[in-house]
Amino acid sequence: MASVKIEHVTKSFGDNIILKDFSAEFEDGQFATLLGPSGCGKTTMLRMIAGFEKPDEGEISIGGRKVNGKDVFVPPENRGLGMVFQSYAVWPHMTVFDNVAYPLKLKKMPKEEIRQRVMEILEIVHMDQYEKRRPSELSGGQQQRIALGRALAAQPGVMLLDEPLSNLDARLREDMRFEIKDIQQRFRMTVVYVTHDQSEAMTMSDIIYVINNGEIEQSGRPVDIYRKPREGFVRDFIGGVDLLSGEAEGGRIRLKGTDQGFICDENIHGSVEVAIRPDDIYIISPEGRFLSSKQ
Amino acid sequence: MKERAEGRINIDIKWLLTGIIVVFLLVFQVFPMLYLLFKAFFPDGHFSLEGISRIYSYPLNWLCIKNTLVTATLSMIFGVCIAVPLAWLVGRTNLYAKSFFRTLFLTTYMVPPYVGAMAWLRLLNPKAGTLNIFIRDLFGLKSPPFNIYSIGGLVWVLTSFYYPYAFIIISRAMEHMDPSLEETSRVSGASPVKTLFTVTIPMMLPSIAASAMLVFVAAASCYGIPSIIGAPGKIYTLTTRIVDYVYVGSAQGLSDAVSLAVFLMLLSLALMYIADMVGGKKDYITVSGKSVRPGIVDLGRWRIPITVLVGLFSVIVVVIPFCSVFAASFTLNMGKSVFAPGNFTTKYWKILISRRSIISSGMHSLLAAVLAATLGMIICLVMAYLMKRTKVRGRSIPDFLIALGSGMPSVAIALSLIMTMSGRFGINIYNTLSIMVIAYMIKYMMMGMRAVVAAFSQVSTDLEESACSCGAGWFRRVSDILIPLIAPSVAAGWFLMFMPCFYELTMSNLLYSDRTKTIGVELYLYQTYHSQQTASALAGVILIVVILLNLIVKRLFEGKF
Repeated sequence: MASVKIEHVTKSFGDNIILKDFSAEFEDGQFATLLGPSGCGKTTMLRMIAGFEKPDEGEISIGGRKVNGKDVFVPPENRGLGMVFQSYAVWPHMTVFDNVAYPLKLKKMPKEEIRQRVMEILEIVHMDQYEKRRPSELSGGQQQRIALGRALAAQPGVMLLDEPLSNLDARLREDMRFEIKDIQQRFRMTVVYVTHDQSEAMTMSDIIYVINNGEIEQSGRPVDIYRKPREGFVRDFIGGVDLLSGEAEGGRIRLKGTDQGFICDENIHGSVEVAIRPDDIYIISPEGRFLSSKQ
Repeated sequence: MKERAEGRINIDIKWLLTGIIVVFLLVFQVFPMLYLLFKAFFPDGHFSLEGISRIYSYPLNWLCIKNTLVTATLSMIFGVCIAVPLAWLVGRTNLYAKSFFRTLFLTTYMVPPYVGAMAWLRLLNPKAGTLNIFIRDLFGLKSPPFNIYSIGGLVWVLTSFYYPYAFIIISRAMEHMDPSLEETSRVSGASPVKTLFTVTIPMMLPSIAASAMLVFVAAASCYGIPSIIGAPGKIYTLTTRIVDYVYVGSAQGLSDAVSLAVFLMLLSLALMYIADMVGGKKDYITVSGKSVRPGIVDLGRWRIPITVLVGLFSVIVVVIPFCSVFAASFTLNMGKSVFAPGNFTTKYWKILISRRSIISSGMHSLLAAVLAATLGMIICLVMAYLMKRTKVRGRSIPDFLIALGSGMPSVAIALSLIMTMSGRFGINIYNTLSIMVIAYMIKYMMMGMRAVVAAFSQVSTDLEESACSCGAGWFRRVSDILIPLIAPSVAAGWFLMFMPCFYELTMSNLLYSDRTKTIGVELYLYQTYHSQQTASALAGVILIVVILLNLIVKRLFEGKF
């Protein structure tokens, strides 16, 4: 297992700056999510960790080994990673078994061992009855399970997942979240997960990096990002919010046009915006009965 | 009420249009084709295998079949062996000048093969070939090393003209392949080379197999190259033998021509069918995610040497023959170099613009090609609209017939038209320009059909539906939304049909009369009987036209007009 360290990485395609001075450190065994809208640079970052793109500046290390940096470039095949793509990328000319066995064959593992290991993996991803099938005979969800199994097969130090669930239907997407999380915990793997879906990020991650325009807006535990967004972008991107205006004075905020108020920091004065998560609003009848409750 | 009435009329018009087109194709394509088949198995009204057995019992026939199979097979093998690395280098590596090379290879695809045959004839003539003598002197050999009048020479020219067929198909497949399939292999620990051989090439196999069969069919049904190179070398192939039999015109000759043409036709159609099945296999088309930029392999220190190698290949296969055609058109005495003192002349170019028969042939070709391309495009447009925008029953039948027509060898199309359209069945258009226009349409409508169908598929129906919701009627939707969006492809498709019709040789050679000579026939006659220099000047004109039109087509497809 391994950690991933990204230091001051900058990347542009032509005049288009994708990432600006990006630094982050994903700890060993951590489930780290890069969350942001499309075009924010999260996939490019992931592809640089994988080695498919080279940073213009900055360094990347995996498990303490520098893989990108001045005069250093380790090609993708020597980085010891596992990767799952949005498009599954299951090779159509190989059977399910051969797909999963491929990384093991490259490691020149003995045949018997490969067989044993592949069957283990297929069982973990619930695909053990399908070993002889061709990918074209499988559904999208099953193909993604194969892709996951293939990435797991070589016991990589780090797993990279690039929006693995966005091509699946809603029900399956929720099931797969738990399966992926379960596998990560079982193998105590470092996972770098890219998504634009905030609920995916919230339910799976140990740490979330919210990215916008090639920069980290905020990083932290899901609950911190949700409860204490530092900025408007993070606040709005991470979930629904109601905005009310108010007047702050002497450690109290009074909502405009009402006599309702909240306690706040004593240093805040003047016109303010109050953001309330919808799930924090309760409706109570005049008699004091809860008409709606937090689920 | 009003709407219902309109709907009914619409359907009727659609039926009518489909009907007219289907009848046209049935009368001029399917019926002649079936008649040809019929004649092969029922030579005099009774079932007989005598005609078929003469194919292999008569040594002259058997020899030409053997030559065809040998040359086509070898051209297929060499063509694919050239096309696969080229497609990979141009499509998937950081080779220098990639787009230049691509344009170059694609341009050869549109050049009439007989131009190449003329060029190589002069370059590798066993006694006086320019390149032959050059190589002899360069290495101090006793005699010139190559003889173009041989099976090897034929294979060389066929390969150098038909590898672009494979190149186009394979590079398209390579560029449409989901790059994450290869990236996964890299992450799994495979080097770029290992990935190439375990993932990229196995995934390409169906396309490679399909393209191999197309090269085989193209080489086997080619007439221009074997007629110019084979005839002087006494190497006969199916196509040249068939044309000879038709010229002889005896009953036995015609019957042999029919048997050979049917053999070639069935072979071609069977291979095309298999190629279509293999190449269109759904399993291998993958939905691509968002990383659609195909991965580019770094050639590293091999980048310059490999670029030089590809450049050298282009010079030998494209630049030298094209230049030699132009050089020949300015050479007074073909025995000497064009640069020899007093040997440069513009005489032959002056002949082009002064000799009446050449000018009228040019006009015939222009007229026939414009008619074939325009009528063909109208059919393609109607059929593509019906196929992509309506649910009329049987709407894909014409599309199938169009594909079938393009798969038929040119000699078979021409022969079937000669046998059925010369009055025997109430239609006599033999010796007219119409019969040529029809032959051209059958053979080349596919080019336009592909362009138009692709354009229709790219214009999402949402665009028309949103115009509909704005209150635009059918006519406004078509004229305001659909036509502007597909116009560039329609124009490109028109040129793609126009070009091969303009310089067509095989069918014209069988169908022309003294009053309907075309530029291809004229060139062939000059090349074989009169003056190679005049033929070269004509070929030069054709080359210039093709290159210019290709640039237009390229820009049309890129949306630059």
